[in-house]
Amino acid sequence: MVDEDPNWRVWMAAAQAGDARSYAVLLRVVLPWLRRRARARWPYSSAADLEDMVQETLLAFHQNRHLYDPGRPLAPFLFGILKLRGADVRRRRQRHAGRETAIDEVPVTFSGLIMNETQESDSDHAVMLAAISKLSERDRMVLELLKVQQLSLREAAVQTGMSIMALKVATFRATQRLKAAMKGARSDAN
Amino acid sequence: MQTDDLITHLTQNLPPVRRAASPWALLLRWVLVTAPVLVLVVGLMGPLPHLTTLMMQPRFMRAELLAGVTALTAAYAAFCAGRPDEPVWKLWLPAAAFCLWVAELGRQCFVLSVQTKGAALVLHTDFMCIPAIAITGLFPAIAMVWFLRKRTAFRSTHASLCGAMAAAAAAEVALPLFHAADTMMMVLVWQMGSVVLFTLFAAACGRFILTEPAMI
Repeated sequence: MVDEDPNWRVWMAAAQAGDARSYAVLLRVVLPWLRRRARARWPYSSAADLEDMVQETLLAFHQNRHLYDPGRPLAPFLFGILKLRGADVRRRRQRHAGRETAIDEVPVTFSGLIMNETQESDSDHAVMLAAISKLSERDRMVLELLKVQQLSLREAAVQTGMSIMALKVATFRATQRLKAAMKGARSDAN
Repeated sequence: MQTDDLITHLTQNLPPVRRAASPWALLLRWVLVTAPVLVLVVGLMGPLPHLTTLMMQPRFMRAELLAGVTALTAAYAAFCAGRPDEPVWKLWLPAAAFCLWVAELGRQCFVLSVQTKGAALVLHTDFMCIPAIAITGLFPAIAMVWFLRKRTAFRSTHASLCGAMAAAAAAEVALPLFHAADTMMMVLVWQMGSVVLFTLFAAACGRFILTEPAMI
């Protein structure tokens, strides 16, 4: 790991003490290094998979930054996480690939793609937007992270500072409130 | 989600974190907590009447020493397993120690069986070994889980396996001091079998205890 900048350790020690600016600098500096190492380790993986591995590594690094000892180089710590999380991502991909069936070409008259009558009204954009605007800030944030951005519960927990259980409850309640708001919006429109 | 956005999110409202103790420091703490309890267990169960004579025998002391080394290396490997920057060879140290230990017991069994014309190979049921190891290893195992929790986000299965082996080997250090085995074959099959059983069982369960997501 000769390609480690000596500043990495300093920035990481500051990040452990709560210095967000040093942490941001560190993460932005190590990002291309991580991408390079991921590409070198898994040369046949797709670009999307490699980026997933890098993101998983950053998340795991963030969650376990207390495990780092500033007396030791940072590169092996980061690379160790990359190896473990990268292997997890590859295993997940292989599992999913076993369950997926590739469909080459779908004829335009393929009956499976025909929308039923209610689907159009269910996905009525205007009703949805009106209902979302009636929700509280917290409900909107939870739905945005978990339903729109489709983050995992763990990723959303890191971003919001909420526990996974609290997030599950908040998502359930926000969905219920959204349903109620959409019903109200539809009855108003009718 | 874009990686740049992820970095922005991660760096917002960054709380300070308390650095985790090093594997050596954790090992020291585990030994300091476990050793007095094992001494207490031996005291409560009543040490063997001929313990002083036993301790004069090199073969007994070699087995005890190797059990101790296995316990220490397994505990150290368990604490290293959760660190992504620890080299893999450290994680396999207890396997080497365990093999040496079993090999020494096997050698003793062979030598004694030749000397006693097969008497050392006599094997009969002794189900007391299993609960005795489990009870003696309970506190070292609890202490191990306590020290491993929140420090084992990576390789948790390996950490569980090594942690369980450390607890079982620690119990096996104390067990011969208060529970006599009739023959070497009894030691090899019942006591070592209990260690393996306890290790595998605790490893299978421990993984679920240790993989609680760290909410920081």
